[in-house]
Parts: sequence; structure tokens; C-alpha cells
Amino acid sequence: MKKIYCDIKKCLGCGSCEIACAIEHSRSKELDKAISESPLPVKRRKAEFVEESVSISTGCQHCENAACVTGCMSGAMYKEKKTGLTQHDRDKCVGCWMCIMTCPFGAITRERQEKQVLKCDLCPDRDKPACVEACPTKALFLGTLKEFTKTCST
Amino acid sequence: MQYVIIGSSAAGISAIEAIRTKDKTSKIIVVSDEKKPLYSRCLISYLLAGTIDEKKIWYRKDNFFKANKVEALLGIKAEEINVKKKEISLSNKEKIKFNKLLIATGASPKLEDIPGIDKKGVFPLRTIEHAIEIQAMLDKVKSVAILGGGLIGLRAAYALKNRGKETSVFVKSSSILSQIIDKDAAGIMQRRIEEKGIKIFTGVAAKEVAGSKSVDGVVLDNGSKHGCELVIIGKGVSPNIEIAKDAGIKTNWGIVSDEFLRTSSEDIFSAGDVSETNDIALEESSINAIWPAACEQGRIAGLNMAGENEIYEGSLAMNSIEFFGLPVISVGITRPKSGAYKEIIKKDAGKNIYKKIVLKDGIIVGVIFVNSIENIGIIGALIKNKTDVSSVKDIILEGYFDYAKIAPLIKKAKKGFKEPEFKETIMTL
Repeated sequence: MKKIYCDIKKCLGCGSCEIACAIEHSRSKELDKAISESPLPVKRRKAEFVEESVSISTGCQHCENAACVTGCMSGAMYKEKKTGLTQHDRDKCVGCWMCIMTCPFGAITRERQEKQVLKCDLCPDRDKPACVEACPTKALFLGTLKEFTKTCST
Repeated sequence: MQYVIIGSSAAGISAIEAIRTKDKTSKIIVVSDEKKPLYSRCLISYLLAGTIDEKKIWYRKDNFFKANKVEALLGIKAEEINVKKKEISLSNKEKIKFNKLLIATGASPKLEDIPGIDKKGVFPLRTIEHAIEIQAMLDKVKSVAILGGGLIGLRAAYALKNRGKETSVFVKSSSILSQIIDKDAAGIMQRRIEEKGIKIFTGVAAKEVAGSKSVDGVVLDNGSKHGCELVIIGKGVSPNIEIAKDAGIKTNWGIVSDEFLRTSSEDIFSAGDVSETNDIALEESSINAIWPAACEQGRIAGLNMAGENEIYEGSLAMNSIEFFGLPVISVGITRPKSGAYKEIIKKDAGKNIYKKIVLKDGIIVGVIFVNSIENIGIIGALIKNKTDVSSVKDIILEGYFDYAKIAPLIKKAKKGFKEPEFKETIMTL
């Protein structure tokens, strides 16, 4: 399964991934317009510091056995058969926050007004997710775990 | 191979899905006393509140049984299990054989043993039928009494307030949600609920339901009478163990299940609200009658019925509720009963934020987050993996706490964090 990985050794914690993510999930998809949208676009990734000068960018890990999918009481969180990705169906979501309760990565956020949740959808409108493209050090990587492991060792 | 599943709610459905990932062809028969299953039990109160339409309550497609090649015997009760013959008897007088059986009979609402409880206008809120029946009489209802201040009682109160009814909740204990959260958190929730016009009376219980044929009030143990046309009972549930018990399968509070969700009888499994399993935080056998546990147990029981050897790590109490825009989530032990536990608390009264972790020997065993609920799943993972959090315990309740802060703990942990998704952290940190 292809998804986004982060090589902690390469991550600067610069936050480029966060901005790219928020813009991609805005209505205008342009930074200067996105910042004045209401509601403000929300990032689905976080670049956070492990300790001084060590950081990691995390988002939905599209877990094989996803607790958010197993525990979803409305059937909104589901596994896409073809890709194995964890997807979210807004029409079914009731905003019960059970997925937030069970996600071990803290990768799901609330959209309070709409009573919906938000998470990484791997940018369906793009070839490569916006965060991966924006990452200046190529810490973020799109591919399989095997491919990622290979790039880490080289 | 013939699989039989008794019960078609969360656990039963998850089991079907799991079996079909391993065995696409063998026969699966599901027996359910509900005529129209496949709805989400947790959404019943949403339906009653009118915040979702009926369409949304069906959490699986209506062709689910057909698509999974399941023979569904609906509106039929499984009455007896013959363990030796591997056969179950049904209410329609038929008998069916099984090679592997799952008992996912769930739980039934506890009804109060008080006079008048059988009057017209008294309901539990457990099935979609209950919601529909309540809805049908709402035009004639001005005032509602809810007996019980737990999750179901308060969800029902919220729903009926939303329908414009005068709603009063009578709670025997001294605080609401006392099974789920501590007094401080309950106080914040209670204030919000009362601000929105729901009346809550703690330390009061009903001793009688008044009225001739239909309800016209509840008589309270302080002697006063509260007039109402509708009574909802939210006194928790008790597991439907009778069929297992009668068959000689080992039961305690629930059906006793091992780490493979096997019962004491060969080839018979149990999952969901009826199943008693290891509680990870309590470190003892317990029932956590909650949706995510039922789904996970159903999934693992299903896999094991299909020949896998998947281990169930155990369940954790966890609940997520929101009233009038104020959410609270709790996991594990939230009201420790002995001095062996330590608590760390952070409050911001102005923002209605309350956060607490409960620790035992440097390991988190419970957490409550009010109003600021993001990242609570990370703490759930620390509880589940029994991670020593001594090095981060002082920052866990801070707003900046997140996955990055536990990355070193994951790398260091000798046990737990076995899921492949933790690999990139372990590998690249």
C-alpha cells in the first residue's frame, strides 16, 4: 500500500507540509486566497518536535488494522478496497469523535461547526500529495513501506 | 464448514466481515431476533433527537447479507444451544447445525424494579423500535422524566430536549456519568446541560411510576411527584448470557472468553456486550459494553473462527460524548478507588477545559479530556501498551503534547507498539 512516510532524520520541522496541506484542502487552493477563507482551511498533518532539532511530520497512517475504522459507529470511516487507504465519508459522519478517541497518532481533527472530522486523504486531486511535494528535504515520502525502508538506508 | 452467528449488531457484523476476508465460500448463517438489523445502536438517540434522518442510521448497506453470502434468519430467536450435537434450536422450531458458533447476543436494558414500570409510556432506549415507538407518541408528550444519568439517560435527555420537550433527569448517585468520568468533569458537563434547559436532579431516584394505564408522573424517593407523560429508563444494560449459561458454557457476569475470544466450549466463541474479557487497565476480567470493543472482538472472533490465531489484547473502557458543543472523552480507570493511583490534573475553567490522567507505577491507566479532546488517542495507545511515561508525564496534559513527544518512548519500548505503522518512527528516529 502506498502512503506517506516521514524520515525523522531528514525532517526539519519547518512546517512546509502543514501549509501545503491546508492550502490543498482550501476552496481556492491558493495561499493568498486561502488565508482569508471562512472557515479557514485546516491542515491534516502536523510537524512537531520530538526534542530540540529532532522533528517528525505525522498524519493519518492509513493503518492496516485501523482502530478508527473498526470503532466507527456510523460507518463513515472505511477502508478503500482497491488502495487499502483509510477514507472518510462526510455524508455518514455524525461527529461522535470515536475516531479521535481511538487514533494512536492523534491524526484526526475536529471540524466543530460542521460536526465532522478531518484527516489525510492523500490529496485525491493530485498525483503526489501536496505535503510530499512541498517538503524541502524530501523527509516526506510517498510509497510502500519497503520502498521507504530502502530510501532510508541510502 | 458452517458458521453460525447469533446476533447481528456490531460484533456479529464485524465477525461476518472478518470471516469473509479468510473464507469466501463457506456458509454463514446469522440468527437475529431483530427484524431489521444493520443499524448502529449508538445512533438511536441521534435518530430520536432528529439530528440525523433514518437513512444515516444504517451503518452497513442493506444488501450487506447478500453481498457477504450470509443466510440471515431475522426476527427469529436462538433458544437453545446443544454443545454436544453442535446444533442450535430456533424460535421457529427449526434446528441448525454449526461447525463454529459465535454468541453475540448483546445486552438488554436493565429495567427498574419499581411499581408501575409496565405502564404505557415507559421505555428503555436500546433498539430502533424503541426510538420509533417513542417518536410516535411525542405529539402527546409535554414533559419527560429520564431515570438514570448515565450515557443513555443523558443522550435520551438531549434527544428529547431537542424535540422541544420539558426534560428532567433523575440520577441516583451524586453526579452524572458516574461510571465514565469523575466528579469534576461531571460538574462541567452538568452545568452545560442545565444551561441548555435540561433539569438534572442528583441523589434522587424514582420509587414508582404513577398513572392509570398511561404514565402521568414519577413518584420520587423524597416523596414528591414529578408530572410527565413519558419515562425513559437509562439504567445500563445486562448481558444476555442465558442461552450460554443454559448450555453449560462458562459464564460469570458475561460469557467468559479467553484471549482468542473462545468460550469454555470448543468451537464456540463470544464477542460484544455479552462477552467478558480481560480489561487492560483493570487487569481483571470485565465487560466493556461499548461499540468499539464489540467491533474489535467480533473481528478477532471472526478471524479465529476462520482458523486464524489472532490474539485479543483485551478491552478498555472508553466513551466519547458531546452535549451542546461540549465534548468529553474518557478511557480506562477515571475514578481510582485506592491510594495506589496518582492523578495529574490540568484545568482551565474559563474554557471549560479539564484534563486528567490516572497513573499507577509510572504507567497511565486512565484519562479524561473535557472540551480539548484532540490527541487523546495517543494516551489511549500509552495505556494499551502499558508504557512507562515517567519521562513525559509532566507535559502530557499540555496543549503542545502530541505524537512526536512519545516517539522516543515507542522506540525504547520493549513491549507493545507492534503495529507496522510504528515502524517508521522506530526505524528513523
